[in-house]
Amino acid sequence: MKGSWNWFWKGGSVLLLTYVVVRGFCTPLQPGLVSATPSQLSVAPQVVDLVAVGQPFATSEDLPASFDVVLRSGDQLIRTDVVAITPHSVRIQIDVPPTMPSRALDAYLFTPASGTLFLGNACFVEDAAKGDVPPEFSASAPDPQEPDLGFSFPYQPNIMESIRNLLWHVPMWFAMFFIMGLGFVASLAQLRTDSIGWDMRAEAAVKTGLVFGLLGLATGSLWARWTWGAWWVSDPQLNGALVTVLLYSGYLVLRSAMGDDDRVGRLAAVYNVFAFVMLVILLMVLPRYTESLHPGKDGNPGFNSYDLDNSLRAVFYPAVIGWGALCYWMYTLRLRMNRCAHHLLSR
Amino acid sequence: MGQTLHTLRTAGTVARLEWQLEWRQGHQLAAVGLFAIASVYVAFQASDQHTGAAAWTAMLWLVHLFSGFTAIGRLFDRERSNVRRYLQWSAEPLGLMLGKLFHAVLTTTALTAVVLGAFLLFLGWPQGIESPGKPGLLVLGAWLGGLSMTTTLVFVSAVASQVRNGSGALAAVLGLPLLLPQLILATRLTRGALSDEPWVMLVEYPVFLGALGAGTATIACILFPYIWRA
Repeated sequence: MKGSWNWFWKGGSVLLLTYVVVRGFCTPLQPGLVSATPSQLSVAPQVVDLVAVGQPFATSEDLPASFDVVLRSGDQLIRTDVVAITPHSVRIQIDVPPTMPSRALDAYLFTPASGTLFLGNACFVEDAAKGDVPPEFSASAPDPQEPDLGFSFPYQPNIMESIRNLLWHVPMWFAMFFIMGLGFVASLAQLRTDSIGWDMRAEAAVKTGLVFGLLGLATGSLWARWTWGAWWVSDPQLNGALVTVLLYSGYLVLRSAMGDDDRVGRLAAVYNVFAFVMLVILLMVLPRYTESLHPGKDGNPGFNSYDLDNSLRAVFYPAVIGWGALCYWMYTLRLRMNRCAHHLLSR
Repeated sequence: MGQTLHTLRTAGTVARLEWQLEWRQGHQLAAVGLFAIASVYVAFQASDQHTGAAAWTAMLWLVHLFSGFTAIGRLFDRERSNVRRYLQWSAEPLGLMLGKLFHAVLTTTALTAVVLGAFLLFLGWPQGIESPGKPGLLVLGAWLGGLSMTTTLVFVSAVASQVRNGSGALAAVLGLPLLLPQLILATRLTRGALSDEPWVMLVEYPVFLGALGAGTATIACILFPYIWRA
């Protein structure tokens, strides 16, 4: 009975992670507008290219007539004409009016296949006067279109394709919290009973958790490079994560410094309890009350805002369960190694 | 009630013992003071009296950090081995910890005064700061930052003293990462105190520093009995 349960959850974690890898990399991203070139306009007729990701215009049957682009200045709309369409961009002809409420223009692209795409502050007009848009330039909003995009991940400005990292970075930290929590409980039990079994559990948990912490740091660093522009920034959440990993490395240093001293279990348990309390303070308490760029802290939206999207949720939850189960599996292997070593040494 | 009184009496005795030991072995106190003032003097020579607020803050906390290590890092290793054995079997662990913590708080207060005083004497106020800043907040930040480093160091020193060989180096290895959060908060507070930011914006930093210090002291008191007679 126990054997079949082990087969079930281990096989399940492999299947879940296979699903996560395949779904996570093969699901298309919803289209979105990235930039407008040129972004500096002047009061004259001119041509602007709106560049997009996610191949929103790949269906070539769409006639240019069914594409609609309007630019918004303040709360007024400005008419444009679609000139040409390539798979990744739409070329528009715009007659910039001499007066408009705001010099910053937002672009709205209405397409039959991908719905409405939006780009805030797409262009700036340098020499326009403040005032209402003259009637011959103004447009009315086209009918909104809500096509079925199928199974796809939501487009977020800045994050774009890197939204797939949500399936790696976040579950790895969850798995680390989970296994470090297990180590904390084991260390408490060690302090109460003073038995070698709990000590071996705590050591296996910390070693496994450190692997996931390092992977979490690596994936986070990659993500920071893409969205914030630097491999590492000084942010409460990042500082906390680094200190936590260093703290648990200290646990291993302490153990190896003790050598075969018979008090190692008790001392390591004391240190581990302290380390876990610091983990909770550093990663869950402090960043929430200080300024942070990291999602989920300091009023920044957490992954809940991406999570609202059902397709992402359908891969994210399996990823959390899959990584957690894999982490626990690694922990059981490490524990078995510890037990074997203890058995061999005490013979 | 009687137990609490007993604990407090132990704490008082240990604190008094530490105090006497400090003056009897004058060289330790002198070593810390010498270290602090020599480091400040090195900073003064390196900075050429044109130090901006950022470099000033960095040097202040580097000096403070390593002076703290020198003063507190071997707190549980100071007694001669027979005194230590006597304490181990006679003193109540919680009282011992409280006494040591009390002594560490006193030492840190004195150390903060020495470091900050030497800094202001040699380097003066950092260059490029027109406004007088907030000297009160600067002093409070240096003191609270020092205290919250100290409580962590006391715990680390207690753990490291249980390891038979090389406990000094081990305290440094375990202590430095643990002190990073306190140092981050303390340097931000110092930078803020030197800038013309209103102090209402900075009030969270002393609160966090105090909370971190009190928190680590509490955990140290809870966990210490488990390691002392292990």
